[in-house]
Amino acid sequence: MSFDRATLAAFVDGELDDLTARRIEREAESDAALATEIARHRALRAQLTAHYDPVIDEAVPERLRALFATSDKVDASLAGRREAKRVRFAPIHWGAIAASLALGLALGLRPWMPPASVTEANGTIVAAGPLAAALDTQLASNQATNAAVRIGLSFEDKAGRYCRSFESRSLDGIGCRDGGRWHLERTLQGQTGTDYRQASSGELAAAAAAMMTGDPLDVAAEQQARDKGWARR
Amino acid sequence: MRFEEELVELLPRLRRFARGLARDASDADDLCQAAIERALKSQDQWQQGTRLDSWMYRITRNLWIDDRRAAGRRGIHTPIDEAATQVAGDGAAEVEAGTLRGDVDGAMARLPDEQREVVMLVLVEGYAYREAADILEVPIGTVTSRLARGRETLMHLLGEAA
Repeated sequence: MSFDRATLAAFVDGELDDLTARRIEREAESDAALATEIARHRALRAQLTAHYDPVIDEAVPERLRALFATSDKVDASLAGRREAKRVRFAPIHWGAIAASLALGLALGLRPWMPPASVTEANGTIVAAGPLAAALDTQLASNQATNAAVRIGLSFEDKAGRYCRSFESRSLDGIGCRDGGRWHLERTLQGQTGTDYRQASSGELAAAAAAMMTGDPLDVAAEQQARDKGWARR
Repeated sequence: MRFEEELVELLPRLRRFARGLARDASDADDLCQAAIERALKSQDQWQQGTRLDSWMYRITRNLWIDDRRAAGRRGIHTPIDEAATQVAGDGAAEVEAGTLRGDVDGAMARLPDEQREVVMLVLVEGYAYREAADILEVPIGTVTSRLARGRETLMHLLGEAA
């Protein structure tokens, strides 16, 4: 093997000029020791990236996103909007949905299960069944304390859609009205424990703050929006 | 692109970097949080037209190092640090090869800090030697020698057939 370890490492790291790189490639074809050494280096790289890359696909925790919501009104709105767009397709949804499945909700695929609260339409997750009904009709100002779904804030997002945050036994989130459906923009796994509930309420409120334009709807505005079927103004 | 937008886009990568530096996922997000707060506060120190990612990685790494040094001064030396001293460099040979097969976290934790950060920047984050040297504010030769030692230790601990 006529290359030192440093050169070899530089080769694997893509730091060599084309000419030297090609010489190493050619030599590796007939030099088993060299080929093995290259394979070892590549295997380490592959093992490290296989270990750390999944972090990239994790949803960014709300506490990090929330840092942007409070820092600067104008910038936060941009960041929030962009993030909201991105998060719509983030794996957190599927994670939360999988969790809610385990907790007894169904995607409408199991006829023996209670009516599904979420379903999928055109690649996005939308509310269905009792959740959709609650988002359609329930007013935050007038809901039973033991309601299965509790509505939090109703507000308009930057795209002019009506959005409502909700909490339920197995799923918390924010639904936005678009094309006659409630698209679930944010979802968290719901829970009945009070401590967790408070934490998740805070996260939802922070998420809502990042998405909303103006103030949340007051009692009268909420009722008016409902009576008009949540159509954009 | 606006500063904050660009920063938000960086978050997934920054979390990956922090995960490699910190002890666990929760410490890693604490580190990210501190870095974001610092960045938002010193926004005006970032020069438009320069790379925000390098700047952000530098902030994150410096906060991590500060924290490690503070912990060291307080005498909070985890067993991991002792293991690192033992295993680092030539000492690595004393530990049986493949001891930590498959345990990337364990193997990374045994690297000295200055090797761990280089391994993360080059092998995981994919920075060129030059870029890693800029982020760490060290000469490029320092990057390559630390990387070489870190690599050897990792290959040794994770097993030759890694």
